[in-house]
Amino acid sequence: MRYLLLSSCLLMLVGCSSVYKNLQPATGDINYIGKFRPDFRLALYKTEVDVVGHHLSGLLLIKTLPDSSVRIVFSNEVGFKFFDFEFRPDGGFKVYYVVKQMDKKPVIKTLKKDFELIMLREQDIRNGYLGKDDHALYYIIKRPKGFFCYVTDKEGTELERMEISSPRKPIVQAIMRNYKNGVPDTIGITHKNFSFAIALKRIER
Amino acid sequence: MHKTILFLLITISSYTLKGQTTGYTPVANLAKFTEQFATIAQKTETIKSDFLQEKNLSMLSEKISSRGKFWFKKENMLRMEYEKPYEYLMILNKDNMYIKDGKKESRVSVKSNKIFQQINKIIVGCVQGAVFNNPDFKMNAYENKGVYMVELVPVAKVLKEFFKNIDITIDKKDYSVTTIVMNENSGDNTTLHFTNRELNTPIPDALFAVK
Repeated sequence: MRYLLLSSCLLMLVGCSSVYKNLQPATGDINYIGKFRPDFRLALYKTEVDVVGHHLSGLLLIKTLPDSSVRIVFSNEVGFKFFDFEFRPDGGFKVYYVVKQMDKKPVIKTLKKDFELIMLREQDIRNGYLGKDDHALYYIIKRPKGFFCYVTDKEGTELERMEISSPRKPIVQAIMRNYKNGVPDTIGITHKNFSFAIALKRIER
Repeated sequence: MHKTILFLLITISSYTLKGQTTGYTPVANLAKFTEQFATIAQKTETIKSDFLQEKNLSMLSEKISSRGKFWFKKENMLRMEYEKPYEYLMILNKDNMYIKDGKKESRVSVKSNKIFQQINKIIVGCVQGAVFNNPDFKMNAYENKGVYMVELVPVAKVLKEFFKNIDITIDKKDYSVTTIVMNENSGDNTTLHFTNRELNTPIPDALFAVK
């Protein structure tokens, strides 16, 4: 029994560290990654979603309210709303509306995590650490079941990609490109473990 | 019991308030109104119009506006082309639907999708007047000096999930639909304003081709 427990603990330790285990430790301020945090005061994106053979398109509105909570509303071009989520500054999350077909725990959980990744929220970043390899710097944030990881070039000037990783491998990869006044013009989120991709292109109003 | 009375009072007062604030009174002769609307709609072979769509997100105090062109041809052909601030094309041709979103094209059989069936019924029904006889809605009609306002309250379960009610404003001069407001249960709504309407100008069928 003792051996079983010991080997389980060892497995867990190996498992936890395996995804970014080959990185060398790096020094620096974890909060530095916050400079890539999008300033989503008000942004509207033309949105395309491809999910297991189905294609959805619409408009995604992101707005920060006076109490600093961020609302994300997705509706189709004709006006039918798919969902309306709220991300509170204290880390809380509320579903104001979700269309019946999407009202499933795993769907909401997946979307919540994806948006949290691209929001680079301060409370998420606080407990991270840095790693590096020959090409890039890795800002790694421990999450309950894995990691968020933000990868920049060696100098930390470009955000190359973002990842949601299980303890063993990246399961979501995302990019944010062409910031204008703090707001990325293009956002892409791709899931590796099933066919699910979100593409956002900012609409100038 | 008290709760029931209170609920009734609130319901009644909100309806009265609606009448008072907007200056509408119930349509005096409903049969005449629907008959006249149907007569005009019967003579309408085609409609070409510009539209402005506004999605009002009440809790966010935010409005998403888009503009485009609207074409209708009897019996059941509809084309809505969104031009600004994004491009999006939707064609309904009887039971088929075609969507062009950027470079992506998709075709859907309206029959296979209850929601599309209802969208089709509502928009085409508004234009043709058939929506007033749609058993999926309970109809209330009001009027003021210049317009009729028809309120459609969904009865069908699938529609109740999406809409609280749909308000259609009809110009008294020519019985043209000027505005459709689709109110959601959340307080948000989507409004379609129609302007620059041209009636019965020839529109080729090719415009509604579901390729």
